[in-house]
Amino acid sequence: MKRTDGELILFWTLPVVAIIWVSAFLLFPGFLHPMSPTMSAEEVAAFYRDDTARIRYSMILFNWFGVGLIPVVILLAMQIRRMAHRTPILSYSLIACAAGPPTLFLIANMFWLLGSFRPDRAPELTQLLNDLAWLTFTVLVPYLIAQCLLFALAIYWDRQEKPVFKPWVAHFNVLIAVALAPAAFTALASTGPLAWDGLLSFWVKNIAIFVWIIVMGIVLGQTIRQQRALETVAA
Amino acid sequence: MTNLADSQPRLEEKSAKFVPGQPDMWMFVLFETLLFTGYFSVYLVSRTQNEQLYLQSQADLDLRIGVFNTIALLLSSWAIARCVKASREGAYRSALINALLTVSFGLVFLTSKVLEWVKEIHMGNTFTSNEFFQHYYFLTSIHCIHVLIGFIVLGVAVYQLWSPARRSQQLVETCATYWHTVDFLWVLIFALLYVVR
Amino acid sequence: MSTSTTESVTVPDPPADSRVGRFVWNLRYHPKRELWFAWWVMVIFYQLYGVLFFFVTRVQPPPSPAWDTPTVVGWFDDHSLGVRAGFGVVFLVAGMCAPMNALLAYSMRRMSVSRLFAYSYLIIYSLAAVPGMLVMAIAMTVGALRPDRDPEMIHWLYDFAFLSFSGTMGVFMIGSLVYLVAVLLDKNRVFPKWYGYLSLCNALTEVVVAPAWIFHRGAFAWNGAIAWWINMVVFVLYTGVFIVLLRKLIQREDFGTGPLPEAVR
Repeated sequence: MKRTDGELILFWTLPVVAIIWVSAFLLFPGFLHPMSPTMSAEEVAAFYRDDTARIRYSMILFNWFGVGLIPVVILLAMQIRRMAHRTPILSYSLIACAAGPPTLFLIANMFWLLGSFRPDRAPELTQLLNDLAWLTFTVLVPYLIAQCLLFALAIYWDRQEKPVFKPWVAHFNVLIAVALAPAAFTALASTGPLAWDGLLSFWVKNIAIFVWIIVMGIVLGQTIRQQRALETVAA
Repeated sequence: MTNLADSQPRLEEKSAKFVPGQPDMWMFVLFETLLFTGYFSVYLVSRTQNEQLYLQSQADLDLRIGVFNTIALLLSSWAIARCVKASREGAYRSALINALLTVSFGLVFLTSKVLEWVKEIHMGNTFTSNEFFQHYYFLTSIHCIHVLIGFIVLGVAVYQLWSPARRSQQLVETCATYWHTVDFLWVLIFALLYVVR
Repeated sequence: MSTSTTESVTVPDPPADSRVGRFVWNLRYHPKRELWFAWWVMVIFYQLYGVLFFFVTRVQPPPSPAWDTPTVVGWFDDHSLGVRAGFGVVFLVAGMCAPMNALLAYSMRRMSVSRLFAYSYLIIYSLAAVPGMLVMAIAMTVGALRPDRDPEMIHWLYDFAFLSFSGTMGVFMIGSLVYLVAVLLDKNRVFPKWYGYLSLCNALTEVVVAPAWIFHRGAFAWNGAIAWWINMVVFVLYTGVFIVLLRKLIQREDFGTGPLPEAVR
């Protein structure tokens, strides 16, 4: 009998965290019709004044659970250790990436919370905080892109009889990395698909992250279950 | 398994008479000297642009304290040199005493430096007072950091000399090289800040 | 439980003729490909970094902290596109730091010292890029975003960016110290001892930048002769050295083509 080592417990936090994130996402009034960078300072100030409660509570939720995905990324790094590699370089790389996205996200989160803390601040100051929040939130992609590409590379290089993950998982990760890329350039446009409320920088990026969580969650769960089944048979 | 980075340990041991201590330490000495030369050059250039201010500020420095500092460090260098000589001859007790003597002189230097800083601050000359004092505090502070690191290095030497199980002559010489560098840098700083007017 | 993960694919010989062919062979079969991958990512990253920071965004060499507000606003106006595009690329590729840090951590695993050093280093340097590079990129980008913003705010963003870049060197200093202690204690001679001492020099130059928080002009300002120029020389030298040393380390590794190490559970 396999002793409880807690991995499954941490794994099952993933759907819980995902549900909380989605709820917070829907609660925040600035996402479901994403705020435009062209809003004037007065409009931004009005946003923080009118919807203060929803802004605060959604962002507090995000603040609590911002790092919720790290255990899953580490589980993925551990799966890399089972692959047919000669060095731990790729698993180390993934671990090095793991803390980046939550750190950047929490900075954005802080700026939103600061904006809502004193809604009757000078509108220009509120706009500055809003800009910092939105920009940080949109451009936090580099570590996510690296994570996806590194993971795909790890799978491509895992040449054994029964590779840990199937090749389509690698292709999927490359696709997600490509989907996340445009968001890095959001500062180049204030309208259109690149702007932080636009198709590429907002919708494609956030949907890509969401899809990645779902797909990788399922794939990881299946893999762990198979591995444990083999262990119980062997034991 | 990985091969060794430099396959010349035996060569090092043989040429210990040529190159005291690890040759690597001499690279460090070279590099630090170059770095400090850079810092001194910046000081000298900015001095030429503001001679009056510098002369005036230098007058606030007490030459006697500078000389005292220099003597303290020179004595410490003498002590560590005696330590190396004793250790080479196998007189480990004497070497240990000399190493501890080095540390004591180093502490004397450090204490007097701190007291000098306190005195200058009381006189109203702080890090931000003017350009000269920027450089003064910077150079003396970064030198003091080297002295503090020197204490760690001397600690390594003492640790080596303490027990017969260790006593690597090369390591003791390496530590001595470092300490001599610290002294050498101080002499340059002393000349630049206190003497050159 | 660990499964033995011997390569079941027989490795063909590398093609002797075409360069592309050999490159592809290397990607698929070379025993040290993971290490070379990390090394090349590092080299390409530093080159990109140089081009982006020095030529595209032009934030290096840094403009002066002594400028008055209109001059700062003027600088942002002149550099707006370069800043937003250049940092856009930074936001794309910053993840390249990860394999680089992984390689350095791996080099520490080859040493005789505890794993503690490698893991500490990995975490420290993964963290370092956030205040030391990304916050600057964010602040500069927001500064360039709205030319009609209150000039005082633009000036604040300017300060925020450059101080975050230069003034958060404590992370790198501690990282360098961890590294240098590992190198000096190492009995496997993964790196020569002089490299440990060079790391000490590097760590000390991180200390030297700290006065940038105090001065608006002179040798110790964020663009000063001592706090920037001399530091940049040391940094470039140090980086060049460790790129070369890591190359030698990878060349010395002799995995051979035998069975792979047992998978770690």
